[in-house]
Amino acid sequence: MENEWDSVAFNSRDPVYLQVVRYFKEQIATGKLQAGQVIPSRRELGAMMKINPNTAQKAYKEMEEQQLIVTEGNSPSRITGDGAVLRTIRSELIGEAVDAFVGSVRKVKVPIDELLDLVRTKYMEEMNRQSGSDEGGTNHD
Amino acid sequence: MKRYLKLVHMEVHRFRYLMLFLMGVILIFQVGAIISVLSRELSQRWDDPTYNGVRSPFVPEGMLSFTWVISNTNFWFAVPMLISVAVIGLYVFFVWYREWLGRSTFIYRLLMLPGARCQIYLAKLTAILIFVFSLVSYQLLLLPLQKLLFQMMVPAEWRVDSYWPEVIHANRALDLLIPRNIEQFLSIYGLGIMAVLIIFTGILLERSYRRIGILYGLLYVVGNAIVALYLPDLLGLGLPGTYLYPDEIVGLVVGVCLLLLVLSVVFGFRLLANKITV
Amino acid sequence: MIKVENVHKRYGLRKILNGVSFTAEKGQITCLIGINGAGKSSLLHAIMGLTPIHGGHIAIDGQPLGTAGYERIAFVPDHLTMPPGMRINEAMRFMEDFYKGWNMARANDLLRFFGLESTERLGNMSKGTAAKFSLMLGLGQDTDYILMDEPFSGIDLFSREKITEVFSSELIEGRGVLFTTHEIAEMERLMDKAVLIQDGKIIRSFDCEAVRYQEGKSVLDVMREVYQS
Repeated sequence: MENEWDSVAFNSRDPVYLQVVRYFKEQIATGKLQAGQVIPSRRELGAMMKINPNTAQKAYKEMEEQQLIVTEGNSPSRITGDGAVLRTIRSELIGEAVDAFVGSVRKVKVPIDELLDLVRTKYMEEMNRQSGSDEGGTNHD
Repeated sequence: MKRYLKLVHMEVHRFRYLMLFLMGVILIFQVGAIISVLSRELSQRWDDPTYNGVRSPFVPEGMLSFTWVISNTNFWFAVPMLISVAVIGLYVFFVWYREWLGRSTFIYRLLMLPGARCQIYLAKLTAILIFVFSLVSYQLLLLPLQKLLFQMMVPAEWRVDSYWPEVIHANRALDLLIPRNIEQFLSIYGLGIMAVLIIFTGILLERSYRRIGILYGLLYVVGNAIVALYLPDLLGLGLPGTYLYPDEIVGLVVGVCLLLLVLSVVFGFRLLANKITV
Repeated sequence: MIKVENVHKRYGLRKILNGVSFTAEKGQITCLIGINGAGKSSLLHAIMGLTPIHGGHIAIDGQPLGTAGYERIAFVPDHLTMPPGMRINEAMRFMEDFYKGWNMARANDLLRFFGLESTERLGNMSKGTAAKFSLMLGLGQDTDYILMDEPFSGIDLFSREKITEVFSSELIEGRGVLFTTHEIAEMERLMDKAVLIQDGKIIRSFDCEAVRYQEGKSVLDVMREVYQS
């Protein structure tokens, strides 16, 4: 788990705290973070992701406002158990990615069927390769 | 006060090897000289019982005294003392400049210590004084031991006892080093301390203003020296027609010197507090 | 808050600082950026009272520094600040002797974190070890503010990673950090505020997250804009 946090590549032109929020959303959408799961403290997060403690604080505040995480009293923060919020995250992420894709592919003016076929093949290839390398990695360990 | 004492302790700790080295040099030169002078005299006496190299009106014919030994080792006593004086003279500069030199610039830490910065100045001054007076007391301690050596080397029937004032007076270097009265003490060590303080302020001027500071520092030192050395002349004293007694002139000179001394210290404190640069 | 107001400084006839004004907040990491000779070090020295200024005011939490101020603000210059003959543990004892706010337990933690050998002589340390040692001395003090001058200069990659970790740790939490560096790409996501200085003047001072949010620009982008125009 820690290695994953560590390897997050930040880009330098988007606010770091929003990139952290996005990273959490991706983890939730892919099921790596479960509903109700305890997440690291602000301080731990800062150290793990190598970000400024103020940025970690700001990211948590943003996530609380978006109701991604909940903090009750002095107990550690958790991922929300609210199913509706969690589903929105998934569709939001997919929507964003598709928007970006459509935005750039539109310029090429490809017929929609051809495009969908291409997407299907590419996507399968990518998934196969990824699962292959994942297995290879675990076998190696 | 606690900080000041810690700083002094640290300064002493830093020159301890240099001081031990000088003590070693003093020991080797002086004891070596005593042994060589005595053994030469003694061996000639063993060879020729009628030989007598001692020419002294105060010592009975054919006898040896410690005073005689001391008066015959003048040069070898003076050499290590001159070396010590030269080393301490250089150390007055080094005690400041080493804080800026090299990769380890201790001056950053010294200036960032909580508490008044004049403690740094006072600690360095105290260190120099401890250095000087340690060597002087070492010399005082060494004399009885050297006398013991003399007694061990010379058979009792050839020995005459000597008095300490007489011993000290027999050697010009010792005579200067160990004052016999308060006036002499003040004129030697007082002037010495004043010189150290003036040089300290000169160094701090250079460290504060750097290139132009070299000029300021030199002017300050030379100016002070002129005032201190030629003061009676500057005041037109000592000429025929002045109406002051010699005692009054001395008092006046001492007073002006004290004033210069205090001014140097205050000026040095101010430079260290407000003008110094790392 | 460290408040620098219209500060002027010169060496001889050369003007080093020419009316510098900026603030560095407590609890924030502020980075002073500029090419060599822009006056960054002089500015840090001036804030620390290590060199006189020839105009303007510098206040720490509304007060001039004063000698008691050295308990509230620590400085890590890019030089060793202890005599070369000292050993690391002797230097730590020196700090304990002179600073009320010296935290020996934390200093020992830092010693382990940086992998320093407590009996090593300062004069024998490599540049990377010296930088870690200096940082240990600065962070070992309980101060509200800590200033660092080029904590990464001339240091190998692994030492640099260790030192970078400090900036995202509890060691600086709640403190005001003001530092200078040339490693902008590496450090930009760690800073709250960037202050650009050129020819002894502040040419821009901004909140890094705000610039990314509003203008979509990285700190390096802003630097390019400012220094190339």
